[in-house]
Amino acid sequence: MRRGLKISLVTLTGAALTLSASACGGKKAETGGGGDDKKTLKVGLAFDIGGRGDQSFNDSAAAGLDRVKKDLNIQTEEISAKPDEPDADKESRLRLLATKGYNPIIGVGFAYTNSINKVAKAFPNTKFLVVDADQCKVEGTNVLGACFSEEQGSFLVGAAAALKSKTGTIGFIGGVNVPLIHKFQAGYEAGAKAAKPGIKVLPAKYLTEPPNFDGFKNPALGTEAAKGQLDKNADVIYHAAGGAGIGVINTVGAAKKLAIGVDSDQYNLPAVAPVKEQILTSMVKRVDLSVFDFVESVSKGTFQAGTKKYDLSNDGVGYATSGGKVDDIKAKLDQFKADIVSGKIKVPTK
Amino acid sequence: MPDEVPAVRLTSITKRFPGVVANRDIDLTINKGEVHALCGENGAGKSTLMKILYGMQKPDEGTIEIDGQEVSFKTPADAIARGIGMVHQHFKLADNLTVLENVILGAEPKRRGRIDFDAAREKIREMSAAYGLRVDPDVLVETLGVGDRQRVEILKVLYRGAKVLILDEPTAVLVPQEVDELFGNLRELKAEGLTVLFISHKLDEVLSVADAISVIRRGTSVATCLDPREITSRRLAELMVGSELPTPELRESTVTEDVQLDVAKLTVLTPEGRPVVDDVSLRIRRGEIVGLAGVEGNGQSELIEALMGIRSADTGTITYGGDDITHWPTRKRREAGIAYIPEDRHRHGLVLEGALWENRMLGHQTQRPNVRGPWIDRGGARRDTTRIVQAYDVRTPGIDVPAAALSGGNQQKLIVGREMSGEPRLLIAAHPTRGIDVGAQAAIWEYLRQARAAGLAVLLISADLEELIGMSDTLHVILRGRLVARVDPGTVTPEELGSAMTGAGSDAGAADE
Amino acid sequence: MSEPQETPKTAPAPAGGGSPEHVPAWQAILRGLGPRGWALRLGAPVLALVISLVITMILLRVTGADPVSSIQSMIDYGTTDSSIVDILNRATRYYLSAVAVAIGFRMALLNIGVDGQYRLAAFLAAALGGALTLPAPFGQMLVIVAAMLIGGLWAAIAGILKVTRGVSEVLSTIMLNAIATGVIAYLLNDKRLAEVRPGSNNVATAQIPESGRVGPFNGALNSIFSGPVLWVILVAGAAAIVYLSYRKQVAAGEPGKSPVAGLVLGVIGAAVFVAVTALVVGPILTDLPGEVYGLLPMAVVVGIVFWVVINFTRFGFDLKVSGLSPTAAQASGVSAKRMVVITMIASGAVAGLIGMPELLGASYEYSLNFPAGLGFTGITVALLGRNHPFGIALAALLFAFLDQTSDVLQEVDVPKEIVGVMQGVVVLTVVIVYELVRRWEIRLQQRTVAAELATGHDLAKGAA
Repeated sequence: MRRGLKISLVTLTGAALTLSASACGGKKAETGGGGDDKKTLKVGLAFDIGGRGDQSFNDSAAAGLDRVKKDLNIQTEEISAKPDEPDADKESRLRLLATKGYNPIIGVGFAYTNSINKVAKAFPNTKFLVVDADQCKVEGTNVLGACFSEEQGSFLVGAAAALKSKTGTIGFIGGVNVPLIHKFQAGYEAGAKAAKPGIKVLPAKYLTEPPNFDGFKNPALGTEAAKGQLDKNADVIYHAAGGAGIGVINTVGAAKKLAIGVDSDQYNLPAVAPVKEQILTSMVKRVDLSVFDFVESVSKGTFQAGTKKYDLSNDGVGYATSGGKVDDIKAKLDQFKADIVSGKIKVPTK
Repeated sequence: MPDEVPAVRLTSITKRFPGVVANRDIDLTINKGEVHALCGENGAGKSTLMKILYGMQKPDEGTIEIDGQEVSFKTPADAIARGIGMVHQHFKLADNLTVLENVILGAEPKRRGRIDFDAAREKIREMSAAYGLRVDPDVLVETLGVGDRQRVEILKVLYRGAKVLILDEPTAVLVPQEVDELFGNLRELKAEGLTVLFISHKLDEVLSVADAISVIRRGTSVATCLDPREITSRRLAELMVGSELPTPELRESTVTEDVQLDVAKLTVLTPEGRPVVDDVSLRIRRGEIVGLAGVEGNGQSELIEALMGIRSADTGTITYGGDDITHWPTRKRREAGIAYIPEDRHRHGLVLEGALWENRMLGHQTQRPNVRGPWIDRGGARRDTTRIVQAYDVRTPGIDVPAAALSGGNQQKLIVGREMSGEPRLLIAAHPTRGIDVGAQAAIWEYLRQARAAGLAVLLISADLEELIGMSDTLHVILRGRLVARVDPGTVTPEELGSAMTGAGSDAGAADE
Repeated sequence: MSEPQETPKTAPAPAGGGSPEHVPAWQAILRGLGPRGWALRLGAPVLALVISLVITMILLRVTGADPVSSIQSMIDYGTTDSSIVDILNRATRYYLSAVAVAIGFRMALLNIGVDGQYRLAAFLAAALGGALTLPAPFGQMLVIVAAMLIGGLWAAIAGILKVTRGVSEVLSTIMLNAIATGVIAYLLNDKRLAEVRPGSNNVATAQIPESGRVGPFNGALNSIFSGPVLWVILVAGAAAIVYLSYRKQVAAGEPGKSPVAGLVLGVIGAAVFVAVTALVVGPILTDLPGEVYGLLPMAVVVGIVFWVVINFTRFGFDLKVSGLSPTAAQASGVSAKRMVVITMIASGAVAGLIGMPELLGASYEYSLNFPAGLGFTGITVALLGRNHPFGIALAALLFAFLDQTSDVLQEVDVPKEIVGVMQGVVVLTVVIVYELVRRWEIRLQQRTVAAELATGHDLAKGAA
């Protein structure tokens, strides 16, 4: 009885709406659809807060998705998260994608870990990916977790910063004070000390405290923080602050000092084009690669559940060489890289 | 003069206005160069009519002619452009500007993009001289007295080129001496060819200054262009109210020896440390009405608020029936039987959005029959509201209507009824009959008399000197926060009282305490 | 001050004196339903919603989407079972938050700090709950009481600053939000009140033990809306509606009330109640998947307590009067300072409850993922619900529905921001329509009063 009732309610409202504005054209909403449409893949991607256009982490995922669309010719759909939402919202977002027939489904950001673990159980035929899986652990035979060793990449750019610094002082600006960004900081500081033991690393500056995530978005905050560190004599500054980092790069560049980008190779970022020659390097985190790899594996039927580690050994993280600013120290950096890959150097995560 | 085109002619003005008396088919003709008085009770529709003439409201029907030309005003600016100026009852002056700045505000003469103060000053001097409006253009308005401020208002209007001046109850805020001065000014204005429309309900004033009188009652004109020489004040009063005016008076004395309220050396300071109530000592016995006369703004409001505990006393003591209540909060004072009719019923006496029965609880929300313990007793409050409505003749269809839907007089009767319930022992009544119709006024006087006979002690504050003289057993005069004189209400005249209030002749019928 | 006004004027039958004019019941009902009664009360929000729906559809059209199918897909998605669970849970959070805000609003006190109050309260209560293991009801009660205390105390700071130093509560609560954020950031650290699981990007307080959690409400819902319990509810509810309606009409023995009209109105009300409960609410709320917050009934209780306090207690009266006219309140003996502090504390204590359903029913810990920003949503929801406990409930459900269905809009390529726009449009329209209706209503009342007096329907005269 209740099924019937609900349907009739929906039909009633729908009919009323249709009557009231039946002349309107435009795009029709596609509803329903089974969960196991095996022939054509439709990729559903749920962003973390910020979404496409954050110039950073989410954009990297978006780049992966765009490549999927182009290279694999697969239909994609993306949904952004709302700020300050509880886990339940993430679950319902994933469930929405799954019920609409999207497969595979990607959750970008560690906050999706629990939700995907739960929702995946209800949709055993759908494959899921968590980018930045929390604790690098996922559950279920249809879930893959991608985790990144940001500290390793950060170690290398830290070493580059120390080697390139003339004043002997370098800085770090984190977006929001959360454990994820602590990894960047820890690797950076360790790398700098390893390259030049006498280097002075200014105390890390975090732009905001959770739950205020403006520190990943607001470039003005980055500008302020960068000014502060420049005043303290830093001449190389590494930012792990997403969109807010644009402010850091522009400010540092305008002062003719060196900036280090994050997540993608920011040398090519239009927003910082005027000062791109002041970008020493970028710590590259290949979120795009993890997205692409995952979809490709699903489309080829080679999907394997579990976790996949992206680190220096498989070039899942690394440093960018665009602009040629680190060419002269490349040998040293590659030596560090080899030592990390071989396990000779253990990079701390906090 | 009457053969000329009239300065203003209103024909068949009708204004439907929800809830209050509308203007119905009003005709009014004002000739050039006369002082025309418009009389009527409060609420008779005078103000509405003037707002229509001044472009603040549009009539639903009827026409306005200025100098024989039919006009239609959308805003006061249109009216000003046609030479109509209005002096409001409540002055609209900026205290911290000079007279000159106030006068030219919004109509500044410019020379090369800058305000030409010299030209303005010259023009104001000329006008002052021509119309006998003596005001120094360069003093700050805050230093001026009420009469001077009114002259500034008139200057403001004249400066904008007004040929017809509307004065809305200009004497309400003045003491008798200032009234005389004002009338002198009006005569000079008339001599200079200006037309004055003078709104008042004070008959003597109307008869002494007007060249012609029109009366409206209940929204319609009942008499137009009466000649003041041919009409008596009694006849005028009858025209205004439709029956004879009641007079405030007390019959035999009911004063007892029990002191209900004893105020000793009470001083209230402003935040800046200036005394607004200065060393006031006052006693009210049971069965006694003590009147307090004074020009508004001389510390009456502060004194009342100190007595009610709304404002704290800086020094001195307040003793109420043997208890020192100087530091009691308002609620405890109310619970002890102090009733309060505030001077501003809309701001202090009522919650306009609240239903009548909710307003009945106001100020008594800790007492039966309104509450039982921490719970509101709706039934009790509603029954008692019905009782008040019937006993005090509050005209309302029911007790669920919001207070805002009632007329001022009925609101006031509700407040009086509320404050009289619960057997109060002291009533502080500020302007209990201000702005209400004659019937309600007489009724409220009667309630006061009855309560007094039952042993209520009353502190009465009023701007209506006749009311004060008629209703007080004892009468004090307050000036600049001090009680300066105590007069015998049995012998004092309004003129003598007015002198005492301005501090002019404190010996007239006064005996220092 | 429009809380359940007595049913409006009906037959003008003077009790004594004049000839009792008989007004038929049907006419009385019509009048009861007339402009001053339910029509305005229900009509105004419905009108506002219709207007905002039209505006939204125009906006959707402008952005290039098909308004009909967009809204259709929102409704489709919003009425799925799992969406209903999410909507209920979301509405629970919004509701508590809006009530916390409304308590302040009722006395014109703008508590912008609900956000900081609930986050700090939830965080500290979570730390407390995670650190202790108590037998069943005590652990939960301790956590809830602690949250209320913390929320109340945090809000009290703003109240005390206002009465002692004259600091605007708007400014102080905004600053206290920032301070709360800082305090939480400092304490939410593995060296202090929180723990970081190895390799995790999250940081959270210790999990509240099993015995300290509140299980889902689904089972209770199933038993409420089926079998004998449903019958009891239907019969009791219907009887209560008929009785209350009848009593209102004959309340206090005032003239001009027709008991027959009361009965008829009551029967109609009861029929609607039975139909809605048995045929709509019941089926929707039974057999839901997922977990409905076990503390959902707490939100209902909070709403009822709020309603009772506002309408039936001295304190509520003082609160309302202070909000409507601070000057009149003061003259009537209400101590403004005391009211400010008490109201802030009450508002903060309810704010403390906002995080409880999530904490005790879903997350069991306060982490970086704990929902934030609910305090601000609460302001809008309270505004939309006109600070009335029932209105807020509807507003919370509407906002929850809109937020829940915003994802599906992206799926049909409508930017999700349009939902924010919709919410803004709804609130603006409601506020404007209500203000217009309120003014119109006052004028109408003045006119009606004048008209009724003119036709001799005068309570004062009725008895004379």
